[in-house]
Amino acid sequence: MAARIVTVNRNVKQSFVPILIGMLSTLKYMLRTLFKREAATIQFPEEKRNISKRYRGIHILTAREDGTPKCVACYMCATVCPAECIYIESGERPEKQIEKYCTRFEIDLLRCVYCGFCVDACPEEAIIMSRENDLVGTSRAEMIIDRDRLMARGKVAEQGPGYRPSEHDVRRPVRIAALERLKTEHGIVPGMPERAR
Amino acid sequence: MPKCTIDGREVEVAPGTTVIKAALQMGIHIPHFCWHPDLSVDGNCRMCLVEVEKMPKLQIACNTVITDGMVVRTESEKAAEAHRTTLEFLLLNHPIDCPVCDQAGECYLQDQYMDHGLHDSKVEIEEKVKKRKVVDLGPIVLDAERCVLCSRCLRYEKEVTGTNSLEFQNRGDHTQIGSFQNRPIAHAYAGNLADVCPVGALLSRDFRFKMRVWFLEPTESVCPGCSTGCNVYLDHRDGELQRFRPRRNPDVNKSWLCDPGRSLYNEVGSSARLTGARIKAASGWEGIATDEAFAVIAEKLRYAGKDAAFLATPLATNEELYAFRALADATGGLLDFRVGDPQKRVREKLDEILQHTDRNPNTQGCLDLGMGRSGVDTILKACAAGSLKALVLQGPELLRAPEARDAIAKVPFVAVMATHEEPLLERAQMVLPAAMWAETDGTFTNFQRRVQRIRRAFAAPGLARTRFELAAGILKQLGKPLAATSARELFVELAKTTPDYAGLDHRGVGPMGKPLPLQESA
Repeated sequence: MAARIVTVNRNVKQSFVPILIGMLSTLKYMLRTLFKREAATIQFPEEKRNISKRYRGIHILTAREDGTPKCVACYMCATVCPAECIYIESGERPEKQIEKYCTRFEIDLLRCVYCGFCVDACPEEAIIMSRENDLVGTSRAEMIIDRDRLMARGKVAEQGPGYRPSEHDVRRPVRIAALERLKTEHGIVPGMPERAR
Repeated sequence: MPKCTIDGREVEVAPGTTVIKAALQMGIHIPHFCWHPDLSVDGNCRMCLVEVEKMPKLQIACNTVITDGMVVRTESEKAAEAHRTTLEFLLLNHPIDCPVCDQAGECYLQDQYMDHGLHDSKVEIEEKVKKRKVVDLGPIVLDAERCVLCSRCLRYEKEVTGTNSLEFQNRGDHTQIGSFQNRPIAHAYAGNLADVCPVGALLSRDFRFKMRVWFLEPTESVCPGCSTGCNVYLDHRDGELQRFRPRRNPDVNKSWLCDPGRSLYNEVGSSARLTGARIKAASGWEGIATDEAFAVIAEKLRYAGKDAAFLATPLATNEELYAFRALADATGGLLDFRVGDPQKRVREKLDEILQHTDRNPNTQGCLDLGMGRSGVDTILKACAAGSLKALVLQGPELLRAPEARDAIAKVPFVAVMATHEEPLLERAQMVLPAAMWAETDGTFTNFQRRVQRIRRAFAAPGLARTRFELAAGILKQLGKPLAATSARELFVELAKTTPDYAGLDHRGVGPMGKPLPLQESA
């Protein structure tokens, strides 16, 4: 079928008035910014936005009192990680009650999707997240962040940590309410096997 | 034949069968800790309680023999309650240290807690009875806190190895297992203790903290360590072999595996593996493309004609041997495999448990395929006389033999298929990189003349190829290509011409292997 050219009459008269209206609007905001300082933007590197306390930024490996990593190398984070960006190697600790720790702990920050599952999965609160979100590097290798860099996070001191479920678990009251409802309305007690109910 | 009903399904079993075995045959898993198919019944864990009609109390499934008309319920309300309370009791003093425990993922306590427990512990961590942790028992690490006192390890030590190195110490909830004065386990079957332990009390020193088991992918295979041919799982992740685990075969190895066999997994990932073909030039070794290498060998073989010799290796699979024999037949040269007389030791026992003196997995296969055709002495004499123009070795065994050294030096062209770098390869003129048992499909024939399947778990490193691909490559260059292109097809070809193998194929071999009639062969 041959193409058909259609002329549509949009019924618009050409005029300079709408352009003037637009420029007036621009002028209005320019004057506001100049004299009232009401800008929506911030002066980024010098000025930082107030980031939520539950923000999921670059990870932090927490330390014990003696400075060694809290991580016991249980691989829960590596197991749950949907991006498969966590690499761990484990070694033996002299304390028999702890036994195990990570000798290598690397996160490929270019693969990481910052979902925070690793933080949820950790039984020791050994991995938490920071509010740091400005990530720069000049090579891929540089973006694979190792154990020592994950533990020594200078900016955390000024910003405070980010996502950390046990600190401020907003979901807990919600979860308890849901459990109560299950019990009262349906007679189900989670934690009991199917046939014992 | 007594008939009984288990969970509403009727079944007829052999007289003397216990409930737990009958249920297992029907695919019903009754939870248990102390029962093990290859150990005596102890009945101490009380986990396998089932309800039997007309019996006033619950019975343990592991020690209740099925009688005619018995009606068993394994998941009735009473039985489920018993499972839950027994498990709660066993977990009373258990330290919940699953995050650092290597058993996590294959632990009976974990699995059965998810199936039958799911209760909250009534004992605070601080109140639990503390026991010894990280006790060094040589190849085994003992953690008495995690133990459920099922006595599997004690029975294993008593009934299988006869060494009795472990015992119960103390009484009541202070009971724990241990060896006398913490002496290390000294026998060559210690690794089985870690497998036999249903929980994380006895763990392997070698595998300690190496890998979480849920990352591992198992491939059914056969241990290449000796002519016993123990059935194993190759546990691997991302192309790296992490450990051997025994695979139960009541006719070969039961549930056991020896420690020397277990340690073989190290060889596959070794940094000494060969990854490319090379040829000796005037200035030393030079890398060469595999196809070019085939062409060079084919040219040398064409030149040598009948003055060529071929030496197979009992480390190769039947399929690889078959392809190698076809190569020897194509040129009409001499053929043998017997370096160091392994064929005389195929059935010679090293101990009364598993191991055999012959450290090759497929000497019987070599004999069955008639690889011992010309005699190694004849080949060596021909070498020494300088009449041989080419020698093709399927494995580096002959290079290692000190008596063959001078004879080999007189052969102008020696090509060897090898898996690992070693100084003795200097004696060859060409090296072809070969795949190992974890990287090839095929069959081994063990000392009982049982044909057993090995499976490829992952790809060979670099440009290494299976020995049948190497033989097929040379045959193609010789203008006599093999009709078969895979191990499966090769085996079908092999079965047509080999006595007793007739009609067999890879599927027919099955997961437990196929026994062939045993005859005293030369």
